[in-house]
Amino acid sequence: MMKRAISFLLACLITSAACAETITVAVAISLKDALSKLAAQYQAATGERVEFTFGSSGQLATQIANGAPIDLFISAASKQVDDLAKAGVIDDKTRRVIAGNALVLIVPPDSKSPSESVKALVRGEVTRIAVGEPRSVPAGQYAVQALKAAGVADAVKEKLVLGTNVRQVLDYVQRGEVSAGLVYATDARIAGEKVRVVCTIEEKDHEPIIYPAALVKASKRQAAATRFLDFLVSEKGQAGLKEFGFTPPPVQSNQQAK
Amino acid sequence: MSSELWQTICLSLGIAFIATLTALAIALPLAHFNARSRYWGKSVIEGLLVVPMVLPPTVVGYLIIVALGARGWVGQYLHKWFDYSILFRPEGAVIAGAIVALPLLYLPTRAAFAAVDRDMEDMARVLGANRLQLFWHVTLPMAMRGLTSGLMLAFARALGEFGATVMVFGIRENHMTLPVSIYVDYEQGDMQQAAPAVGILCVLSLTITLLYNRSALSRQE
Repeated sequence: MMKRAISFLLACLITSAACAETITVAVAISLKDALSKLAAQYQAATGERVEFTFGSSGQLATQIANGAPIDLFISAASKQVDDLAKAGVIDDKTRRVIAGNALVLIVPPDSKSPSESVKALVRGEVTRIAVGEPRSVPAGQYAVQALKAAGVADAVKEKLVLGTNVRQVLDYVQRGEVSAGLVYATDARIAGEKVRVVCTIEEKDHEPIIYPAALVKASKRQAAATRFLDFLVSEKGQAGLKEFGFTPPPVQSNQQAK
Repeated sequence: MSSELWQTICLSLGIAFIATLTALAIALPLAHFNARSRYWGKSVIEGLLVVPMVLPPTVVGYLIIVALGARGWVGQYLHKWFDYSILFRPEGAVIAGAIVALPLLYLPTRAAFAAVDRDMEDMARVLGANRLQLFWHVTLPMAMRGLTSGLMLAFARALGEFGATVMVFGIRENHMTLPVSIYVDYEQGDMQQAAPAVGILCVLSLTITLLYNRSALSRQE
């Protein structure tokens, strides 16, 4: 019995070693559903395996900076990629923007007195507002910028509940634990009926929401990672992202990357 | 020391203190009762009191939210009638802390009550002590050492509680417990920012452990 168990474990080890070409991609969690689907398509078409680790971009950047075995990093904002490039952890030359997004204000569907705008969040009946933790969650960075642009950042400070990633913010709103939340348009779309989108934040009220991707310098699977990144910016990859509501990368950012 | 750190320390100590008192209110009568009586279902009750010791805190957090969250079994009515939800409130952190601290308080307290000399109690009863006097002046003082060490461990455990707390209490600026603040700083990649909180928790935990060892050792002598 023992022998059998050991040989089984060994077999597992050997097979996992044989699949060494599996790349590990650290992905901003807002891309979760879209990239999971795209990776399945990619695997079916090319036979190459992609594994993901999802989290807030800041959390993932911390892990990568601390030596996590990641091949490709896809962030929901430039800041985290800039920081890693500055630290010499990622290869800035490989950087490409794969998509864009928009920020929306959402409320629980059964909300009695929904706030119709960001400005209205100061009202008394809005008790708690969920945003991403602004220092590590890009959606939170954009949210705070939007609150500042509306001139209510200080007034609502005490109402803010900070999610460790944007999906937690979405979850707080879905569960009716908060009066409102600021998430990406694509997150609200995934939640469907469970949240109500009040308004889309104007683009001028926050930095452009873009998803830059770059290879990690320490990766031993640079070629495989590059192929996956190529696939994401290809027509097929872009069509897949569009399906989930992501906008194409702004023209400007593409040129900048090249 | 920055004012935010100070606020975090006070909040942490306050929550851990009230959580320990809450656990005491549950553990003390049950430990006293269970140390002396046999009844049907006792093992189930004791199992429930002790299971948080091995249960992952995330399970505790999950169950609190499922029970008392805005869409929870009980919580949905609290939400509907009183616009109340346990999330993001200090009560949630207190409940989480109390649940995880409960076994550490219950077990030594029950053992202490079980070890109380029954003859002494009988003597007190013969001398005319009523039940409250008996408990307060005879039983409790004799069980005090077990209770004190239980309280110390429970407080330390409540102070260090993270998993359930981060789920139930969430993350809000200036409303974080020490363990949560360490995690938030780590997520931002700011290890230096987390260092003071780490140091404080190490010192506090070590102090409590030393005090506990001392009282446990003095018992053996």
